[in-house]
Amino acid sequence: MILFWIFAGITLFGIIGYLFQMIAVRSYTAPPHSGEGMRFPRSFPPVSILKPLKGLDDGLFDNLESFCNLDYPEYELIFALQNQNDPAYKVVKKIKDKYPARDICIVVEHCDEGLNPKVNNLIPAYRKAKYDLILISDSNVRVEKDYLSDISRHMADASVGLVSNMIRGISGRSVGAVLENLHLNSFIVGSVCFLDKYLRMPCVIGKSMLMRKDDLEAIGGFGAVKDLLAEDYIIGERIHRLGKKVLLSNHVINNVNEYWGVKKFINRHTRWGKLRWKIGGAKYFPELLSNAVFMSFIPLIFLPFTKLSLFLAAATSVTKIARDYYLGNRLGADMHPLLYAFTPFKDLVIGSLWFVPVLSNTVAWRGNRYIIGKDSLLFPYPETGLKVWRPRIVTAIKTRLALSKY
Amino acid sequence: MLLCDFHIHTTYSDGSVELKRTIDLFGQAGFDVIAITDHVVNGDNPLGKLAHRFKYSVTAANFSQYISHIKEEAERARNKYDMLVIPGIEITKNHLTSDNSAHMLIIDVQDFIPACISYEEIFLEAKKQSALTIACHPHYMSAKTDRDTLFLWNNRDKYARFIDAWEIANRDDVFNVISLKKYPYIANSDFHKPRHLYSWKTLLNCAKDVDSIKQCIRHNKGVAMTLFRN
Repeated sequence: MILFWIFAGITLFGIIGYLFQMIAVRSYTAPPHSGEGMRFPRSFPPVSILKPLKGLDDGLFDNLESFCNLDYPEYELIFALQNQNDPAYKVVKKIKDKYPARDICIVVEHCDEGLNPKVNNLIPAYRKAKYDLILISDSNVRVEKDYLSDISRHMADASVGLVSNMIRGISGRSVGAVLENLHLNSFIVGSVCFLDKYLRMPCVIGKSMLMRKDDLEAIGGFGAVKDLLAEDYIIGERIHRLGKKVLLSNHVINNVNEYWGVKKFINRHTRWGKLRWKIGGAKYFPELLSNAVFMSFIPLIFLPFTKLSLFLAAATSVTKIARDYYLGNRLGADMHPLLYAFTPFKDLVIGSLWFVPVLSNTVAWRGNRYIIGKDSLLFPYPETGLKVWRPRIVTAIKTRLALSKY
Repeated sequence: MLLCDFHIHTTYSDGSVELKRTIDLFGQAGFDVIAITDHVVNGDNPLGKLAHRFKYSVTAANFSQYISHIKEEAERARNKYDMLVIPGIEITKNHLTSDNSAHMLIIDVQDFIPACISYEEIFLEAKKQSALTIACHPHYMSAKTDRDTLFLWNNRDKYARFIDAWEIANRDDVFNVISLKKYPYIANSDFHKPRHLYSWKTLLNCAKDVDSIKQCIRHNKGVAMTLFRN
């Protein structure tokens, strides 16, 4: 029974954490008081928007088109691809043809300066950028017309080094996409706001990063992060160390996840978990303890069955569903209310995935396999030696299984 | 080269994605030309009757609504994605044995063509409407869930001259017999679910209008196939 009460206590700790996250998100999504954000005169400095592209993201055309319709006087769009055979190339060509008056540049250049494929895409795009302000924006992001004017106002303050945004997952139509959006709209947004509000810890997510070229150069440019998997977080941290402010804008941007498979959801969060483990070290452990749903199910699964353990799991699940529903509404997510019922299942999956980073240090990303070290430093996966046999055996088994269907 | 897919199903028959969303899926992925080809199933046997009962078939009754909906969406697709959408149907003659079953696409269909009339009548009607006739998945398929449709291949000597092109590839399957026979070919996804977007496609080297596309396929010059993957 004592074990039960230990887990009940940890669950309570997690629920209190949920409460603090709710307060943090609420404070960021509250409507601004009159005059807030107007401390500096409103100016619209020209911006170079860098869009690294690889493959087709859900709703890619609309995502890219949303950047052509920004209410902003002067900006350029730089779409960067590694080669013309990328299916995204056709989409950006269509976008360029549709908006001939817009300042759009398509950079197709193979770059293998580093191991991070996104940074490899950004390096040639950065060379083309003609303005002092650069905005790095992922291809799965869709924005409103006032997005750029809303975030660029922060740069009028010279002490601000980087502006990132809150994200909300939208458009989920498959199980994997619904799980992804539930996670983005609860754990991810809650954690980012919590860290920013209570711990003053910049937690930059690379979906949207506005900064000055000077500040990026001061931390060594893209060359300094070319071999890091968490280049976004590290850029934010290093700009913070320069003594500049790293702001989390309350302008919520959309992350479109429409037809994800469950496998993709699992892959992404295993990868992100490995990042947090390699960067945070011991700080990674509270993450499991704060997963109240997972903790509340442990007594139910591993201890002798009691009505009390069933009540604990049920009550925690209901609380978490209610909390996620609140956060989703607060963010303006487009999810059907009934889909929030997936929340406990999602938290159980995430809780199970928590252990993977502790046991494995390899990541597969954008078709490449790496070994991940401290601070998310990437190393090429060895081509020789014993390690090379593991993926080969896995591939052979997968091929056999696929063939056996026929 | 135009990236094309001429074999796409929606919720008008047994597809899982409604028409508007299907068009958006292909538009968002940068396609140049697609044809919507929902099933028109023969209702003269128990299999066909079941399909009609579960509304897995376009019928004479809803055909005009089907076509006008496609035309409406085609206009939206042209304006938004610069993508050409051609109306079509898949004549679906299902029988208990694979040897007697046949599916064929009628691309750029104008009027309803029932599936229970004879093959000769179907080809004649398609020709009258200047539509393309494509023999679908004409040979053995690998997936267990799909039933083979071998009638047209087994009777190719009789019917090949009426068929404008044959599917050399359908979703994940490739039919090398089409290549060996040197028949005109195209490659399609047989799209029913979003994941089918990533499959075999046709590339055409011609202007982006219906007549040029039909001519290109009929003459089978400037035609290539590609495995579209993300």
